[in-house]
Amino acid sequence: MSAEFVAHVPFKTNHSNPFRFILSHIIRHPLVGILMVVGAFSNAAFAAAVPYFIGVAFNAVIAGNQQDVIVYATLGVLISQFLRGCLQLMRNFCAETFSQRIERDVRDELYASLLGKSMEFHDSQPVGEIMARVTNDVREMNLMMNPGMNMIVGSGFFLIVPLFTAPTIYPSFIILPTIFLVLYFIAQYRFIRTLNPIAQRVRSTFGDMNARLAETLDGLQVVKGAAREQQEIDAFNKSVSEVRGYFVKQGYIEARYISFLLLSLLTIGGLIQAIYLYELGLIDAGKVVAFLGLLFLYQFPVYSSLRSLSQVALGYASARRILTIINAKTDLDQNNAGRSETIQGRITFENVSFGYSDTNQSLQNISFTVEPGQTVAIVGQTGSGKSTITKLINRSYDVDSGKVLIDGVDVRDWNLASLRSQISIIEQDIFLFSRSIADNIRFGKQTATQEDVEAVARKVQAHEFIESFPEGYETVVGQRGVTLSGGQRQRLAIARAFVTNPPILILDDSTSAIDSATEDRIQQAIWAASEGRTTILITHRLSQIRWADHIVVLRRGKVVAQGKHEELLASSDSYRRIFARYEETTQPLVDAARG
Amino acid sequence: MGMFNSLNQDSYDRLYSDGYLFKRIGSYFANQKRVLWTIAGLLLFYSVLGTVFPVLIASAIQLLDDQKDRPQLVLLLGGLFIAAIIDYLCNWWRGRMITRLIGDGISQMRSDAFAAAVNRDLGFYDDNKSGKIVSRITSDTQEFGNILVIFSDIFVQIVQIVILGFVMVSRSKELSLLVLLWLPIFVALSLVFRYLSRVVGRQGSRAMAAVNDNIQESVSGISIAKNFRRENLIYEEFVSVNKQSYTINLKRGFVLALIFPVMNVLAGFGSASIIYFGAQAVVTGAINVGSWYLFIQSVERFWFPIINLASFWGQLQQGLSSAERIFALIDSTNKVNQIADVHIEKLNGKIEFKDVVFEYKEGTPVLDRFSLTIQPGESIAFVGHTGAGKSTIAKLIARFYEFQAGELLIDGQDIRTLNVQSFRSKLGMVQQSPFLFSGTIADNIRYSKPDATDAEVEAISRSIGNGEWLETLPDGLQTDVGERGAHLSMGQRQLVSLLRVLLQRPPIFVLDEATASIDPFTETQIQEALDKILAQSTSILIAHRLSTVRSADRIIVLRAGKIIEQGNHESLMEQGGHYAELYNTYFRHQSLSYIENSREMLAQNT
Repeated sequence: MSAEFVAHVPFKTNHSNPFRFILSHIIRHPLVGILMVVGAFSNAAFAAAVPYFIGVAFNAVIAGNQQDVIVYATLGVLISQFLRGCLQLMRNFCAETFSQRIERDVRDELYASLLGKSMEFHDSQPVGEIMARVTNDVREMNLMMNPGMNMIVGSGFFLIVPLFTAPTIYPSFIILPTIFLVLYFIAQYRFIRTLNPIAQRVRSTFGDMNARLAETLDGLQVVKGAAREQQEIDAFNKSVSEVRGYFVKQGYIEARYISFLLLSLLTIGGLIQAIYLYELGLIDAGKVVAFLGLLFLYQFPVYSSLRSLSQVALGYASARRILTIINAKTDLDQNNAGRSETIQGRITFENVSFGYSDTNQSLQNISFTVEPGQTVAIVGQTGSGKSTITKLINRSYDVDSGKVLIDGVDVRDWNLASLRSQISIIEQDIFLFSRSIADNIRFGKQTATQEDVEAVARKVQAHEFIESFPEGYETVVGQRGVTLSGGQRQRLAIARAFVTNPPILILDDSTSAIDSATEDRIQQAIWAASEGRTTILITHRLSQIRWADHIVVLRRGKVVAQGKHEELLASSDSYRRIFARYEETTQPLVDAARG
Repeated sequence: MGMFNSLNQDSYDRLYSDGYLFKRIGSYFANQKRVLWTIAGLLLFYSVLGTVFPVLIASAIQLLDDQKDRPQLVLLLGGLFIAAIIDYLCNWWRGRMITRLIGDGISQMRSDAFAAAVNRDLGFYDDNKSGKIVSRITSDTQEFGNILVIFSDIFVQIVQIVILGFVMVSRSKELSLLVLLWLPIFVALSLVFRYLSRVVGRQGSRAMAAVNDNIQESVSGISIAKNFRRENLIYEEFVSVNKQSYTINLKRGFVLALIFPVMNVLAGFGSASIIYFGAQAVVTGAINVGSWYLFIQSVERFWFPIINLASFWGQLQQGLSSAERIFALIDSTNKVNQIADVHIEKLNGKIEFKDVVFEYKEGTPVLDRFSLTIQPGESIAFVGHTGAGKSTIAKLIARFYEFQAGELLIDGQDIRTLNVQSFRSKLGMVQQSPFLFSGTIADNIRYSKPDATDAEVEAISRSIGNGEWLETLPDGLQTDVGERGAHLSMGQRQLVSLLRVLLQRPPIFVLDEATASIDPFTETQIQEALDKILAQSTSILIAHRLSTVRSADRIIVLRAGKIIEQGNHESLMEQGGHYAELYNTYFRHQSLSYIENSREMLAQNT
């Protein structure tokens, strides 16, 4: 298996553009798709049967007492409507199956593609963003099919059927429906064109107002503390009136919905034409009634098309967003032919420069060496490039210039899978799965026995608190009120990494312990984890920094100082300032370092 | 009405009578009486026209049968045409007016609700989550807007039913009876479906929430899975969750898919019965052809509005309870009330607590006869276990809470007599989790002193650590901090909130120190900023850092709302009392000796 995971998705779809993407999903379900269309067509056809039978009954009544014809017409309505209901049911079931399957498949496909994406991709995408794609956007594609497409196809037949059945009553009855349809489509197109941008503004201004409101109330103590209530009220009222502005605009456009007028005019036109033909003796009264009944069928699409059209538009936009993710390229090559041996643990940075974008250099000319088994602390302010350094080691990103070497070999010459499987990263935001603590610990090595798990937990000072839960190692994380503190989560994450016994461990640590006893345990865990392997620490803990084998001080992406604690006290001004708060006891140390 | 939403009651919710609610809702439109009357007129006109249309068409059909009276037919067609145009214009005008009315009403209500929310005590927000209040201000007002639409819809439907019913009964009592006979079946069926869809909806959404949780987890866990190369495991889990979601949704969808077909079949049967019995009536001469046609056209127009009324009723209830929730927010009361309105021009910063008693909940005092005098310019650090009353003292000084007994004097003045706004503007406060508003860093520094010049802001920012902290920000002082300051690190947020106070130069400074971990470089700069503030203000420090505790003039050791020790660090340590115990629990690991000895103490050299 190559480094980037390839999930076995049992189907292939077209990813060239949203339309083809949707289409290729649709044609995967031919049976339900066809049944849905057949159901929609027969629904419209049987609906059109009603005016026909009414016309028949009409003629029968006018012509005198023709009981058999009346019974025939009544039964005709009865049976046709019963069939219509059955077929409509079939159509709805099919549409439901169809849309749910599409949701399932698209989600599957998207998820599989996410698993195949590089770490670089996942680092750059906020989880919330991805969640929105996997849940909401995929759901939108479902709704696009049902009710969206279902309604459009369904009501579409209501537009078409009169076009074909009207001429069977009398040939020139085709004229009015045709004219209506042309005008209707133009009107609909223009209506949506004007409505959509406004509707979007309504949503976005509403979102802004909501965000602003939530922020103000959360920061109310600051507002009150600064006595700025009135300004906040003014600002809120401004966004309220902005929302109102677009809301009213949208209402105005909706009030203008011209298709209603078109429909009334069509009915009158139809009545005039029918009466005219009746006067000429070309049709009988029953046909007048039947024709009018056909025109009434247009009510359904005119009233319903509004929602379904925008539903389809939303779904299409979602499909586009999903495709952007599926089609996102990962530039790192897997280098299957590369070196894949056990890492000894020497890490060397040689004049490394790197920027996430071309304009902004995050790291400039970074050089340092870590010997196997050493612990290095990388320190610096937020934004100075600490985390970026760790991302170059496991090739989450490739350098722009210079080299990162592991055991003297450029990381780009390593087999990516081999490289990454020997480097463990404990991230700042620790994620634990909602499964048992034991399963979380053995996540990276499923073969680990219960004894292994417990041994590791003991080493990282986690055994004690795990045992304090009623269900011990079988406690499910995040359930039934079991909440883990930051320090506990961190120790579990260290244990998880520990189990896989990686030659290189990278620990991005920004937790803090409130009390000294917890702090003791966390530090013991880190000491234990770093033993016997090369460890890179990004930490705020002065004692870890103090005792690291090597300290790299970063400022604005450059190494401004490096060495041991004593050397830095002598050579680095900003490093010395950190310890200056302890001046009464630090001073001799500084002197010692200098002397 | 409160009964229906007892699940999400809040403490300040009240019950209003429906009559009062209507009256109060009405008050939001009191100054728009003319608009309201016009709308009512238009609605009436519109609903009459809506029934006129089928009646006119039926008359035209009738005239057809009569074989004479051509001028009347032309007149009728002309009438239809005019009716269509007027109908459209009416609808258009009505739509515009209602939209505007609703827009204004909602806006007014939102403004009122927001002003009320901003003016509530902070204690109010201890009991009520701000998220819920946000939804009252935005969503409930939206719901309330729907009431008006529902009202106008109900109005139109009722008028149409009445007119149509009247016309039908006048044409044929027997056929009208037939139409009515079907009605209970329709209503019963629609109620059954409403119940069913509610049940499957509830079950479905519960199951969906579980599935969504699961998807959320597997998506969040992707990077861990990749880290440990466990993609296969997590993918298999996802597939099974995804399948489960599919099955649940399909079942729910199938139930909902039943509704329209069944209703349509029923309507078809109804029409068939009208066709058959109507035809018999025409044949026997009981009614004419036109009336028969009118009945055929009208059955659905008569049935569906009545079915709709049932669901409108539910929506109306919902709208009213929304209005109730908004009014409850507007009407909720504050506990902090001032008895006078004294503006202090220049505050010296003397603070005196005299036998102050304070309790959040009755019977469990947090501060019990608490007395303390803080001199102008003095800096005091409060230490103690969680719940000892440290934060409470700060909140009382800021006048965020009302105390139950005793006196709290600011420069010798009773705090209850002060104008709260002018007093607080002389107070510099930093919360435990520093809060920034979206905007630039400069905007945030300037928050308490909006008239500060760019140069002032710049100078203050550079005075800390030579402005080194600004270097790592993409646009320096103009960097956008993001919502709630999310783009900045915790340390940067803290620094900004301290600079805010430095710029303000308040006579009294209250700091509830953050416990979050901050990189040592930023930490140093925070200490610098703090030193500067301490030098210029009377300072109340709720300290979590050893260095802050030590920089105070006086350390007050609290236990259960009482002062049990005070003095400076060295003397308190020597006493070996509660402070020494607190030191060993909270501060020991922040000391240099800990740092220096940690390797020996903690490394497990095997």
